[in-house]
Amino acid sequence: MATTQAPAVRDRFAALLDPGRVIDHPLERRLYGRDGSIAQGDCGLVVLPETTAEVVACMRLAHDLGIPVVPRGSGTGLCGGAVPLDGALVLSVARMSRILEVDPSVPCARVEPGVLNLDLSTAVRHLGLHYAPDPSSQQACSIGGNVATNAGGPHCLASGVTAQHILGMEIVLADGEVLRLGGTAPDPPGYDLRGFVVGGEGTLGVVTEITVRLSRNPPHVTTMLLDFPTVAAAGAAVGGIIGAGVIPAAMEMMDQKMVVAVEAFVRADLPVEAAALLLVEVDGTAAEVASHTAVVERVGAETGAGRVRVARDEAERALFWKARKSAFGAVARIAPNYYLHDCVVPRTRLVEILARIYEIGAELDLVIMNVFHAGDGNLHPLIAFDRRDPEQVERVHAAGTLIIEACVAVGGVLSGEHGIGLEKRDFMPLTFSATDLEAQACAREAFDPEGRMNPAKVLPIGSRCGEIVLDAGSLPEGTWL
Amino acid sequence: MGVSASNWDPSRPAPLEEDVVKCVACGLCLPHCPTFRLTGRETASPRGRIAAMRAVEEGHAVVDSSFTTMMDECLACRACEAACPSGVPFGRMIEGARAQAEPTRPVAARGIRRAGLTGVLPRPRLVMAAGWLLGIARALRLDRLAPAAHRASSPPVSLTELRRPIPRTLGEGPLARVLSGCVMDVAFRPTQRATMRVVAAAGYTASRTTPAGCCGALAMHYGQPEAARAMARARIAEMEDAEIVVANASGCSAHIRTYGELLADDPAWAARAEQVAARTRDLIELQPPPRDAGLGTVAVHDACHHLHAQGIGPRGLLAGAGAHCVDLGDGGRCCGAAGLYSVLQPEMAARLRRQKAEAVAATGAPVVAVANPGCAIQIAAGLRELGSSVRVAHPAELISPE
Ligand SMILES: Cc1cc2nc3c(=O)[nH]c(=O)nc-3n(C[C@H](O)[C@H](O)[C@H](O)COP(=O)(O)OP(=O)(O)OC[C@H]3O[C@@H](n4cnc5c(N)ncnc54)[C@H](O)[C@@H]3O)c2cc1C
Ligand code: SF4
Ligand code: SF4
Ligand code: SF4
Repeated sequence: MATTQAPAVRDRFAALLDPGRVIDHPLERRLYGRDGSIAQGDCGLVVLPETTAEVVACMRLAHDLGIPVVPRGSGTGLCGGAVPLDGALVLSVARMSRILEVDPSVPCARVEPGVLNLDLSTAVRHLGLHYAPDPSSQQACSIGGNVATNAGGPHCLASGVTAQHILGMEIVLADGEVLRLGGTAPDPPGYDLRGFVVGGEGTLGVVTEITVRLSRNPPHVTTMLLDFPTVAAAGAAVGGIIGAGVIPAAMEMMDQKMVVAVEAFVRADLPVEAAALLLVEVDGTAAEVASHTAVVERVGAETGAGRVRVARDEAERALFWKARKSAFGAVARIAPNYYLHDCVVPRTRLVEILARIYEIGAELDLVIMNVFHAGDGNLHPLIAFDRRDPEQVERVHAAGTLIIEACVAVGGVLSGEHGIGLEKRDFMPLTFSATDLEAQACAREAFDPEGRMNPAKVLPIGSRCGEIVLDAGSLPEGTWL
Repeated sequence: MGVSASNWDPSRPAPLEEDVVKCVACGLCLPHCPTFRLTGRETASPRGRIAAMRAVEEGHAVVDSSFTTMMDECLACRACEAACPSGVPFGRMIEGARAQAEPTRPVAARGIRRAGLTGVLPRPRLVMAAGWLLGIARALRLDRLAPAAHRASSPPVSLTELRRPIPRTLGEGPLARVLSGCVMDVAFRPTQRATMRVVAAAGYTASRTTPAGCCGALAMHYGQPEAARAMARARIAEMEDAEIVVANASGCSAHIRTYGELLADDPAWAARAEQVAARTRDLIELQPPPRDAGLGTVAVHDACHHLHAQGIGPRGLLAGAGAHCVDLGDGGRCCGAAGLYSVLQPEMAARLRRQKAEAVAATGAPVVAVANPGCAIQIAAGLRELGSSVRVAHPAELISPE
């Protein structure tokens, strides 16, 4: 199934970069056929540019040769966004990983796209600053990938998702043209296209430089773990805390199966017998933290929390977060693969939807675990399975569809933060009308008239802008799993 | 996509399917992998290496020179294993992958390496003889003839030291068998003597195993499991009567702790191997009575086979002797020594060596504690290259100076 780009094509790219940064051995290319999702694609060639000029050169050549291009950051995406199809060229920005400038007065930082999210926060810690959006994959995912997927994270409940933290960027379009958007000025002149490009999932161009807003570290932080005898009780606590007027810095829920898997890795003495665990973090001045902690403790008591465990020190706090942020990775302790959804539902329907998800799992005889951003109703139901069992795989797909339909039926949306990519593409018509999809296709075409940027992603096959039908891209049998 | 047959060579050890499928490709290990950090290449990452193993396992690829390069560029530092929430046992997978890769290597390189791993290491006398030869070469300054990249990785053997004896037994109390080890016994003799003193101080009768008797770790890491098993049996036979077994090199203690797995299929030895494994302590885990050795500030390098493979470190031991320990602030990244790595992958090793030496120098401490021979050689070379005067010492020597 591997599609090979002709050796002549390889040599032309190798002339632009050094040969060591062009990968065309079939086995090595294969490793670029995947991201953090379960799709296995078909990568024709990989290039690893180190500068914007090299990206421009690669994009021009790809333009001349008419080759489709898939930008890649760290490949932690969960919906197949960075998975190439039909022998596409993968352009990895992993070697563009320099922090170019930090300006503590704004405060902001100008970075290359391959800088890892956590590396940036670590690099500015001594200035009392951090980069606020903190996807659970933050140790591994790139800022460029975060921009492309408009990533969220536990702390986005109070501080907002990636889009709220991007001041400016540089993007190289499909034909090699360089576009600069925004800057450090509060309201840059002209149309503000940043909001459109953030979340573009690599379909608009290659993000080659980003200016991000940095945030000041809060003076005080308290992190708590509350365990509950039922998922419904935990759901009630989420509503109760927000109903009492407290927006915690983060509020995350894990169900029992997830807690058991994670505990096996972190050994944080988590309550493995509880039905659900809530991780709540409040920050601010000492007085704010004290009063918000009191509210969380009171609501916890009212809704039946067993124990409120307050992190004693920074080390214990880090352990709580390690537990939360290891969740997806720890699933292999249950089954070798997982299929993850990312729906958002109105917070008031959380408990009801969770019950429905467990029901779907029982009906289809599948283990479904939950770990999610409870504060904003962003669910991550995770179906554990073994892809070596084709019959099971079919049930997994069926369950996925049922879950999405159930979420949409209560007024939810498809994706809170992971994006649409390949996996969720065909569910788009569930939430968007034909007119909506057409408008999106037109906007995309304005950036990339030939449809060569990450083709066959995000918009369902056949979405059209006027006469032009977006290139379908063939999904060979088995691509998915 | 039907399940095709695996392309592993059935006559050699291979990564286990149940291990390989555990990787969910989440990528959380990537930032912890030194070779990924240096190259940004998926092919030099844990996830990529596992995907390559999986491709062979599922019949999508064969073991060729590209596969071998991917596996050889790995330091086997196991930082990925410690970072992996799924519990992917990367350490034993890379051993299997390298055993598979062996036939693709150039015959000459294979021959020389095989001779070392299966001909010399299992024979303590030959190891000692090799040590003497190295010492003589050094005394004659022949080592200057070696290419610079290799010079950095040659052990600091000295003829004077080789002549000074190490006590065979020391102290009173329950019996502790102290592994002599190959590299340690040839090149780190002051550490060996200090180790005896520390074990005795911790309340044991310290008794050394056969001089220069290797535990088998190197052979195992480089795809020679049969030679490794033979060495394991020899060590078990001379250590199993002890209350505890002590090793003072991270690679050795980590490896002896896997003896049970290594000999699981050998009915005559499985139980004995299990028992020795369970009794094994790294020297840095011992608790001699606290006493102030006037150490001051000590920078601490965590050897991969302590930090990632065993989850242990020397801080407690050093603090007990009054040291103020400072970390290197590099997240415990491998120094690039990694067994034969610095010889086989000199370029990558040199970059890691420089990073590590810079991190040591940046602490401002006058001495760095290093509890593994490979790391000690590598870091000392790195510091020399930087023109730094920081001293490299094993924790045993620091807490129990002569
Ligand atoms: C364990 C785990 C936990 C996670 N938790 C969260 C979470 O809490 N919140 C969340 O939002 N996501 C989460 N994710 C998903 C993922 O980490 C994010 O989507 C992240 O933003 C992807 O970054 P990346 O660098 O890995 O991008 P990739 O996976 O490489 O790419 C993702 C998409 O962005 C495009 N892209 C990447 N770089 C560029 C660029 N420079 N220019 C243009 N397009 C580009 C790709 O084409 C692709 O469409 C998690 C993933 C894992 C494995
Ligand atoms: S080895 Fe572990 S951490 Fe690395 S990608 Fe696989 S599952 Fe994730
Ligand atoms: S053992 Fe070390 S070098 Fe090898 S893949 Fe794991 S982290 Fe990377
Ligand atoms: S440290 Fe290495 S060289 Fe020494 S005994 Fe152990 S395996 Fe052999």
